[in-house]
Amino acid sequence: MSIGHVLLGLLSERPKHGYELKKEHDQRLPGAKPLAYGQVYATLQRLERDGFTEVTGTAQEGGPERTVHAITEAGRTELDRWLAEIEAPAPYVASPLFARVVVATLAGGTAEEYLLRQRAAHLTRMRELTARKASGSPAQVLAADYALQHLDADLRWIETALERHTVLKGETDA
Amino acid sequence: MITVVRMLARGRSRRERARGRLMAAGAAFATVLLCAAAHLTALRLDARRGALGVLTEKEPRLMVALTLALLAVPAAAFIYQVSRLATATRERRLAALRLAGATPREVRLTGAAESGWSALAGGSLGAAAYLLAALVARWSLGDVVPVRPLLWTPVVLAAVVLGGALSGLRAGRHVVASPLGVVRRARPRGPRARDLALVALGVALLAAALTGKGRFFLGGKYGAVVAIAAGAVLLLFGLVLATALLIRMAARRAGRGTSAPETLLAARMVEADPRAWARALSVVGLTVFFGSAVGAQQALTVFQSDLTAFQVASYALLYLALLTAMVTSAGALVAHQAEALLDHRRSFTVLAASGVPVPALGRVLTRQALVAALPVCVVSAVAGAGVVVLLLAELYARRPGALAVSVAGAAAMAGIGVLAAVLVARAARPILRRWVRPEELRTG
Amino acid sequence: MLEARTLRKSFGRTTALDGASVEIGEGEVVAVTGPSGSGKSTLLHCLAGIIRPEAGEVLFAGRRLDTLDEDARTRLRRENFGVVFQFGELVPELTAEENVVLPLLFGGRGRRESLQAARSWLERLDVADCAGQRPAELSGGQLQRVAVARALAAEPRVIFADEPTGALDSLAGERVMGELVGAARESRATLVVVTHDNRVAAYADREIALRDGRVVAGATAATGGTAAGTPGEAAAGGVSR
Repeated sequence: MSIGHVLLGLLSERPKHGYELKKEHDQRLPGAKPLAYGQVYATLQRLERDGFTEVTGTAQEGGPERTVHAITEAGRTELDRWLAEIEAPAPYVASPLFARVVVATLAGGTAEEYLLRQRAAHLTRMRELTARKASGSPAQVLAADYALQHLDADLRWIETALERHTVLKGETDA
Repeated sequence: MITVVRMLARGRSRRERARGRLMAAGAAFATVLLCAAAHLTALRLDARRGALGVLTEKEPRLMVALTLALLAVPAAAFIYQVSRLATATRERRLAALRLAGATPREVRLTGAAESGWSALAGGSLGAAAYLLAALVARWSLGDVVPVRPLLWTPVVLAAVVLGGALSGLRAGRHVVASPLGVVRRARPRGPRARDLALVALGVALLAAALTGKGRFFLGGKYGAVVAIAAGAVLLLFGLVLATALLIRMAARRAGRGTSAPETLLAARMVEADPRAWARALSVVGLTVFFGSAVGAQQALTVFQSDLTAFQVASYALLYLALLTAMVTSAGALVAHQAEALLDHRRSFTVLAASGVPVPALGRVLTRQALVAALPVCVVSAVAGAGVVVLLLAELYARRPGALAVSVAGAAAMAGIGVLAAVLVARAARPILRRWVRPEELRTG
Repeated sequence: MLEARTLRKSFGRTTALDGASVEIGEGEVVAVTGPSGSGKSTLLHCLAGIIRPEAGEVLFAGRRLDTLDEDARTRLRRENFGVVFQFGELVPELTAEENVVLPLLFGGRGRRESLQAARSWLERLDVADCAGQRPAELSGGQLQRVAVARALAAEPRVIFADEPTGALDSLAGERVMGELVGAARESRATLVVVTHDNRVAAYADREIALRDGRVVAGATAATGGTAAGTPGEAAAGGVSR
């Protein structure tokens, strides 16, 4: 996911300054990792360099003076292009979970214990998310759904891996 | 095709095997009855007096033959009831055939072949038994028993097999329409006005013929006889058809406002499927009807001191016929009870699992029988006795005790009918106890 | 509240339970999980006194349950337990309302009182509109909510649910689980849910994991529940690709 495109999307409503962008990002994408200020300013600089945004002035509402950014015509075209694309359907298996299991077997040890511990951690996290869903805003519920279903997918993979592990062990023992 | 039937036959469950055997037994019984009826009409003997007169004199002999032929009706009802047994498993099996690519025609033929086979097996057995009996009779009685009517036996057998095959042809009709064969029970069907119209028409014909004092506006004396006969037949048919309606009304009444959970459940179960109960009880109802009618007719003569041996013999034979009819109808009731248990097994198991004692579930069975049988038997008894009393109103007016006797007879007949239904339901309790074991929840 | 000690049970040649032990406290919400054939449902049926184990003990409120005869267990089930099955298992001939009323009547309550209780439960579970309809006319979610109402109406101390969302899509299942857990917590009833769905298990305070008829995790409140692992990391691992 590209933070640049999310910022372009937020700017397509109206010109905003950096702090506003950070706040809106965190609010509208609940459950996502919060943006750091540095990340926001670095991204804005890159967008300006590529001609997707421009500085339209400054704003001061009681606090320090802030630079206001606006989306350009080229920026809108880029945003449309990005929205028309589809996300590549998981081209690589890049989960650290997967890496750990493979490395554990490479090292000659057993992944079983690790898988069981990871399973417990996943379930605990799912319990928290489920409890949060009972009293969340619609966006928070959506975010929790997203997280829950991915955690569930991981869990099911862990269960299959555990079963395969038993089968494999049985084969080598035999 | 034949290979498929053979494959299916080999894989049949114990329950289905039992069903096949029951069907064969019904077919054997019907074959014997029909063969005997055909043979009686041809007995080469007239006017041997005494108690055997009913079998030897021409007219009573024909009556006995007719009675025997009529007894085949409960036997047929029994076969039909049995062919409906284990409907669920059977339908699932036929549906699997459909999913495996069989055309509706092929599925129907498979069903027909299955039940035709049972009918052939049973019918052959019955025919063989009858032939043996006839030959023994011929050997001991000589010329009195003609040989030629035995040629009818293959015809009777063919008719029985055809009947069996036809009932099998109908058996698969649910799954023929949809390969998934999903039987979802919706609300019971609405009341059918034409069932009641038949009753009304029958009553009207009877009333018109009776008020004419032996004369009818069409055809005079003979017209009256025809009208009475037609009226009685229409009334009978209408009553049988209206039985379902009657049962449902009674069930609805019983279910409303009751605070006994057994009655509520029993009433609703009967209300949801009154047709099945009507099918099973129609034979019982007919027996009660005829029994009450016979009783009412005999109420006039029972106090006579000069009963002839001939009369006693004919009465005895009549009651024997009634008893046979009652036993056969009890058989149909047993088959229905088994079907109902299969249908409700899951509900009962779940209720037992959630803490309903099994004896309470047993009470649900008997109350179902009571709710369904009581109205049918009472109406049949009243109708049976009523028709005779109305027909012979003048005779009744002359014999004051006769009415009380016929009422008592009708009440006894109704009681016997209800008792039969309730006893069958009670007899099913051990099966219920075995079937609702919570272990069954697993296999569901 | 509920306790099982080294339960053993087999069906024919397959062993369903092979020395399973669990302990469930009052008011706890637990999920019994495991692959199919691991003995989940059998454990539930043993705990609920529906079937008897071949060996081991089942205790409810400190009393042996497995040694009671059929009548006593039936009474115990009726008075203390409520069961929700996978496919609702309502009586097809009865209306939704009558299905809820029936166990109350069997429990010896009066008709009016039972009807009142049934109506208020149907209302609570938002299926009051379906009160007069028969099960065949209800959607899967409505059916299951009526089944929940039936299980809860007698105010049981323990509610057992066997794959209560197994036949539902995820939103309908979420609703049923929400209502079930909410009602159980409100009435301080113990809830035991058998499921193979982790998302359903996540409604529980604790997971009892079964494998080959044995409890491999969460046998007691101390060993399950808020187990080790840092939630934040786990979430990050789960969501990112």
